[in-house]
Amino acid sequence: MSATRRLQKELGDLKSCGVKAYENVDCEESNLLKWTVLLVPDKEPYNKGAFKVGITFPVDYPFKPPKVLFETKIYHPNIDEEGKFCLPIVARENWKPATKTEQVMMALLSLINEPEPSHPIRADVAEEYQKDRKKFLKTAEEFTKKHAEKRPE
Amino acid sequence: MARNESTQQPGSSGSNGISVEQNGSTKPSKITVKVISASLSKAADCYVEVSSDSPTVTTKKTAVKKKTLSPEWKENINVTAIDSSTLTFRVLQKVKLFEDSLIGMGKLKLSTLERTENGELKVPEMSIQLTGKDYTKTDTLLIALAGFIDKKRRSAGSRGESSVSEASTSNGVSSASRRANSGKRDTIAPQANAAAQPVADEQLPDGWEMRFDQYGRKYYVDHTTKSTTWEKPSTQPLPSGWEMRRDPRGRVYYVDHNTRTTTWQRPTADMLEAHEQWQSGRDQAMMQWEQRFLLQQNNFNADDPLGPLPDGWEKRQDPNTGRMYFVNHVNRTTQWEDPRTQGGSDQPLPDGWEMRFTEQGVPFFIDHQSKSTTYNDPRTGKPVGPLGVAGVQMAIEKSFRWKIAQFRYLCLSNSVPNHVKITVSRNNVFEDSFQEIMRKNAVDLRRRLYIQFKGEEGLDYGGVAREWFFLLSHEVLNPMYCLFMYAGNNNYSLQINPASFVNPDHLKYFEYIGRFIAMALFHGKFIYSGFTMPFYKKMLNKKIALKDIEQVDSEIYNSLMWIKENNIDECEMELYFVADFELLGEVKSHELKEGGTNIAVTEANKLEYIELLVEWRFNRGVEQQTKAFFTGFNSVFPLEWMQYFDERELELLLCGMQDVDVDDWQRNTVYRHYAPQSKQVAWFWQWVRSLDQEKRARLLQFVTGTCRVPVGGFAELMGSTGPQLFCIERVGKENWLPRSHTCFNRLDLPPYRSYEQLAEKLNMAIEMTEGFGNE
Repeated sequence: MSATRRLQKELGDLKSCGVKAYENVDCEESNLLKWTVLLVPDKEPYNKGAFKVGITFPVDYPFKPPKVLFETKIYHPNIDEEGKFCLPIVARENWKPATKTEQVMMALLSLINEPEPSHPIRADVAEEYQKDRKKFLKTAEEFTKKHAEKRPE
Repeated sequence: MARNESTQQPGSSGSNGISVEQNGSTKPSKITVKVISASLSKAADCYVEVSSDSPTVTTKKTAVKKKTLSPEWKENINVTAIDSSTLTFRVLQKVKLFEDSLIGMGKLKLSTLERTENGELKVPEMSIQLTGKDYTKTDTLLIALAGFIDKKRRSAGSRGESSVSEASTSNGVSSASRRANSGKRDTIAPQANAAAQPVADEQLPDGWEMRFDQYGRKYYVDHTTKSTTWEKPSTQPLPSGWEMRRDPRGRVYYVDHNTRTTTWQRPTADMLEAHEQWQSGRDQAMMQWEQRFLLQQNNFNADDPLGPLPDGWEKRQDPNTGRMYFVNHVNRTTQWEDPRTQGGSDQPLPDGWEMRFTEQGVPFFIDHQSKSTTYNDPRTGKPVGPLGVAGVQMAIEKSFRWKIAQFRYLCLSNSVPNHVKITVSRNNVFEDSFQEIMRKNAVDLRRRLYIQFKGEEGLDYGGVAREWFFLLSHEVLNPMYCLFMYAGNNNYSLQINPASFVNPDHLKYFEYIGRFIAMALFHGKFIYSGFTMPFYKKMLNKKIALKDIEQVDSEIYNSLMWIKENNIDECEMELYFVADFELLGEVKSHELKEGGTNIAVTEANKLEYIELLVEWRFNRGVEQQTKAFFTGFNSVFPLEWMQYFDERELELLLCGMQDVDVDDWQRNTVYRHYAPQSKQVAWFWQWVRSLDQEKRARLLQFVTGTCRVPVGGFAELMGSTGPQLFCIERVGKENWLPRSHTCFNRLDLPPYRSYEQLAEKLNMAIEMTEGFGNE
């Protein structure tokens, strides 16, 4: 497959990058097009857990962007209940074939750590984030404890 | 065969709570639908049609509300329904004289609504999202519902139990809450949710199993029929009136008992909707199509390559059919044949002979039997020479008008005497025409056409043939045949559907369509919908350029542009001369050149890579179909006859032009980094208004990729990602040429200093064809 070598290289790079926040990568056995990455944010209120993200690469990768979806529930102004979010780096109109999955994970991690309430996907959460930060932090932390994955040792 | 007609067909299994209605588990009951109001994006005289699909199809309509964006009906409508019924709401525009046209459609599954334990249904108000003809979702309809509906049992185990006993076992637990607790019921929740849940997504009908092959690719086994497929079997039941069957070779097909038609593709709600929209737009499309033309009539004689008519002759046009005929005022007779081309040789060319033009426009003759060529006309023994038959020098110029005249002359000279009769019935145009066209000797299709619709007596003076070309070309698009699809879900241009092989005889059909398109060109008739620009290039045996791929696949285009413009040696692209393609779950790998799997793409060879990839992207999955199309076309007349034309002219020739409404165009244009009052914008429209229709059509081709305007006008212009208005953006410097982005309908117009400069640059841009504007 044309995408194979590129994906093998990216997979290897990601596993050995030494960045704890996203080095836990799994790839479906015998299907290199499906990955899961465990994101480990270090900022409140998401630092009480880890978040599983599913990545599906199209057959014509890297000509078309991968589809990325949260598999772990998260309480966040920019991520909806189904795990969808808007990230310009993987948007169809901005995609560049040189973009690496590591860059995508970095962008996603910074979105988790620094919500953008001005471009919310969940308006109610964004409003709470802006008007009542304390309540937001409390809800998000409880939500994280309840739904998120265990952080790796 | 018998086995498959039983309840074993995949798709209508009862295991997930969806059962067929025939087993009588629920009693039909009346429910009242209150149609309250709607919010539309376009004002229209409109009404709402409400229908229930089971136990029987019932349809009722509201009154018509006069032209408004927010019609209010507050009308109660009673329909008969059962638990598994789907209500369809269609908002229609009242059209005088013609069939009413669809504004938007929405569906509601009654099983998704909450009910009290005794089956009472009460929805005080709910809004239904309407899907428009062009798949936009901007309109909504507000309704209310009231009535009683028996629920039915939810597992195969309880089959046969009466609905009353189930209601009594519920013990006060509402069906809604029970449904929420039952995992199995989730699959009949509204489809949007089901698609988002990976677990529910993998539920299969009874007797089916999912497996992985050695490459880790998913496939599905149907233990009932002992067959496998890449396509996921649907857990959705077939729409009412549909049935799955197998032909003697074991291939699955579907019968629509409503219309008594069959198709290879499993009908889904989306497909039926697409079909309905395709059908409902036909009358409007025909109206628009009837206004198309190729050359304005008033200056027919001005540059006729055959020169003036002999004394006493006059050329006229039949007002009913548009066909030209000739009047001899000397002996007061009329005839269809042109007196200039029949002089001395009104017999056809002998068998096996063909007339062509040299590059310089000199007629010569080919004897296919002896494989020789000569300038001498075999009928007269004399050369026709660079002089026309009337003794007037034939000027060689490259105007579109001149090229058309040359082509028409070629067709006339190579025509075959007598007529060819094609009889079809109106409700089976596609299949009947297939039988008629394919059983004839292809060259005979050059004879004068005599088209007849069964049961409609009358002579064909051209009008019936015109209508047949419209109906058949519109029919080719019918989504049920799976032969063609819209290019990148935009702009109404067709491309071959790589999945067309779901119809096992697809190649025969492409050959038939090739013949049909050649007939349209040969007989000077228009077809309804055209092809993509790269397809026309392919017809003209031209190379597909990177820019052409933009219309086919804008994402690949953008990525390849990025590779072209950036130094890739530093990017660890890990690309090789190999490409993959997925079709209905199957991945096909293709080496772009021999040993390509191990040849890395570098800065040094990337241009070769782009060139090969572009060619592959255009052809992938459709090589055989394209070949069959060309075989069919060439059997009627050789594609070389089209050599003078470029791809844009070929589109105009095949689809005709239409009067472009510049007011409508200007009203529906948006600007980026320009204001509507900017002087360049004012000059632009001044320039557009100064153009003739051919130039306007060429401007449209340059910016939108096609000369055709949507049936609903410029407001309905589509781009590759949905509705996309014509857009003018300020880009570049005054010494640049204008550029275009066909997938966004966008013109990049530099800030020129004067009207003259703007007109000069734009004229250059629309006249040039080859690989223009992609620097």
